[in-house]
This record gives sequence, C-alpha cells and structure tokens, in this order.
Amino acid sequence: MVMKKKTSQTKSKFVAVASIAAELSEVMDVAKEISLAAANAKAIAFRAGEKARGFQPITDFINELAKETIEKVNRINEHAMLLYQLTVEEYRTTDAFNKFEEVIRLAQGSANESSLKASSDLVQQRMHDCRKRFQVNIDQLLDQLQEVMHPARAARVIAANSRIEASQAGEYLQSLQAVAESVDHAAQIIHDNVQGCRSALIVINFSEK
Amino acid sequence: MKMTKIYEGNYQWIMFGRDVNKPANIIDTNQYMVRTARRCLLMDPGGVELFAPMLAAVLHHAPVEEITDLFASHQDPDIISSLGLWDQALPKAKLHASKLWEGFIRHFGCESIEYVGIPDNGGSIKLDSTELKIIPAHYLHSSANFHIYDAQAKILMSGDVGAALEPSGAPIYVDNFDAHTEHMRYFHQRWMPSNQAKRVWIERVRKLEIDIMAPQHGRVFKGDDVKRFLDWFEALDVGVAV
Repeated sequence: MVMKKKTSQTKSKFVAVASIAAELSEVMDVAKEISLAAANAKAIAFRAGEKARGFQPITDFINELAKETIEKVNRINEHAMLLYQLTVEEYRTTDAFNKFEEVIRLAQGSANESSLKASSDLVQQRMHDCRKRFQVNIDQLLDQLQEVMHPARAARVIAANSRIEASQAGEYLQSLQAVAESVDHAAQIIHDNVQGCRSALIVINFSEK
Repeated sequence: MKMTKIYEGNYQWIMFGRDVNKPANIIDTNQYMVRTARRCLLMDPGGVELFAPMLAAVLHHAPVEEITDLFASHQDPDIISSLGLWDQALPKAKLHASKLWEGFIRHFGCESIEYVGIPDNGGSIKLDSTELKIIPAHYLHSSANFHIYDAQAKILMSGDVGAALEPSGAPIYVDNFDAHTEHMRYFHQRWMPSNQAKRVWIERVRKLEIDIMAPQHGRVFKGDDVKRFLDWFEALDVGVAV
C-alpha cells in the first residue's frame, strides 16, 4: 500500500520536474533578451557620447550578468535533466517492485515462487538508490537555483542605477530609460520564474521526506 | 490466468490466457511458452496490465532464471508493452523481435535484456536441443511481423493471423469452424492490410506441416481446422481490397 502511494508521488514528480524545465526555458529566453538590451544600450550610449558616460560601464555589467545567468541556467538544465532521468528510473523500479509483490502474492504455492526474490531484491535496491540520488540532486538543484537569483537581484539594482544615469542623457533619456525598464522587467521575470522552480522543488522535497 | 498445455513431448507448449481478472476494457490475449529442459521462450508475453498474472502463471512451470527468451511477433502494446517489467525481472534474457521495430520497442524499456533483431527473412531460436523457426508474416498486420513454427510439435504460433474477437470465457479450441468465422471476419478484414501479403503468407505456411495453429487472440485451431482456416483466409478480401 505504501509503495502504491509512492507510485503516484513519482507521477507528480514528473509534472514538477517537467514544469521546472519549462520555467528554465523561459528564464533562458529572458536572459537572452537582457543580453540584447545591453547591446542596444551600448549603441545608444555610444551615440550619446559624453551625455551617457556613466551609462557605458553599466551596459557592460548588464551584459556580464546576462551571460552569467545563461551559463548558470545551462548548468541547471543539465541538472534538471538528470533529475528527470532519475524520476523515470524511480518510476520504473517502483512500478516493477509493486508488480513483483503482486506476482509473489499470485504465485503463492507455485513450485518456483521464491525464484523471483533475487530480482525483487535488486529492484528494491535500485528503487532506494534512485530515491537517495534524487534527494541529493534536488538539494544541489535548490542551491543552484538560489545562485541564479543573485544576478537577477543585481540586475534590478543596476536597472535602478541606469535610470539615474539615463536622467542625465538629454535627448537620449527616453531610449536609455526604456533599456533600464526592460532590464528591470526581465530581472523580475527571472526572479519570479526561478522562485517558481524553487517552490516546485521544495514541495517535492517535502513530500520525499 | 488459465494455463493449457497444448503440446507435450520431450518439451512442452503451454498457452496462457482467459484471465478472469483482466480489466474489461483491454483486449484478451493468448500468451505461449515453450518449456525445454533448462530454458523457456515466452511468445508475445503481453501488455503491462497482464504482467503480474502472467509471470505468476509462468512460475508454476519454470523458475525466473530459466525464462531465457522472449519473442515479440510485432510492436503492438498488447504484445510487448510489459517489456520494461520483464527487463527488471529477467536481466539475462534475450528478446527476439524485428530489427525494424527495435527503436520503437525499446520505448517500452529494454536496458538489461539483450535485443536480438530479427532480419526481414526470419531466422531461428534454439532452446536446448529444440530449434524453432521464425517465419516472416510481414503486413499481417504489422509491416515487420513474424510467427514461430515448431517443426517437431507441428505448431505455428500465428500472432494476429487467426485471431477472433469473442466475449470473454470462450473455449480454448475452435469447435465449429463455420460458426467461428463470424468472430474472425471483421478482425481480418480490418486489421490485415493487404491481399498480396496474405497470399504470400498462405503460400509459405501451406508448405509447413501444422497440427496446431495458435493465434494471439481467440481460439486455437487443431487438425483440419488449420487447413479450413487457410482456405477461408485465402478467399477473404482484406484491408485495402475491402
């Protein structure tokens, strides 16, 4: 009975892990948008010359943050893929273990009922190993997601600075303010999505424990 | 799961089916096993839903370590979707199935079991001293489809050919061929795509000595009913011809 419950938990894990992949894909798109906004801002700041002198190093910094986010998300994606594979393996081994229990019950009294024991023990061992590995990986993934929120937070601070610098750029004010807004908005989306991933993982983590 | 010995010599053929606990909304299937001294071949071992009663039934005849070979006539889920579970139960077994379907069948889970790809022209499976022939039955109904022929027992395991759709609890053997055709007609007309494929197969199996024809659904044909089936099937337009 306990094992049957575990099978349905595994199914909900599939959904949670898949939703993380979807959220991360959006984070990646937004990070690319930030990178593009940084390139755009650099061009504007170059045209603005002296009026946007304070803005030029900010654009480099925005670009660096976008790159850092993309790299981190790539690593997280690899980790999420591993988590997905472990979920598949756990689903298979849990299902097999449940079925083997049923076979043993149905085969009671048959000449060879005990011959399934070795396979059943092996599957049970694999199932436990999967759960342990999943636990370790989910903790690591939570840490990685925490890390990716740092550049997003920094991007919001930079966006605030950008607004100040933009206010001194004369006729380029509107263009540079739009860049600052877009960076701020993108950083907010990244923050929310990553927070969403963390919440999904925390729910799985809690149900596992 | 009902177990019926359909051949007893220095090895046995056992048919499994008519499972009273089977969910009502899945098609009833026949599974077959050849049991030699130290090895077993399971033919079309069935779908996921059937795995537990099927393995429990097999354990009445053989221990797990002697279930050495599986055969899938084609790729359908009622034939082999239990593969992922057999894969966990029988880590040293071999699966004999079409080379063409390998990449598809592996979706059911096949990490430990060795996939032995059958070429289009068929082959053989050796179990101790018994040799079983793998007979091509392409497009009946699957594009890469095989049957198993045992020359000593004179049994042809004919996959979906000869299948019938009947209410549950039907007898194991055909007892009134003419009446039985009504349970077979729709199945063959709808699932078998080609008269040409049908004719090639009939020509091939007419050369074989067959006492028993054992399909994957419905009843088993014995003696003269095998010939009656081949004549009836030959006259029946199927698939694109209908």
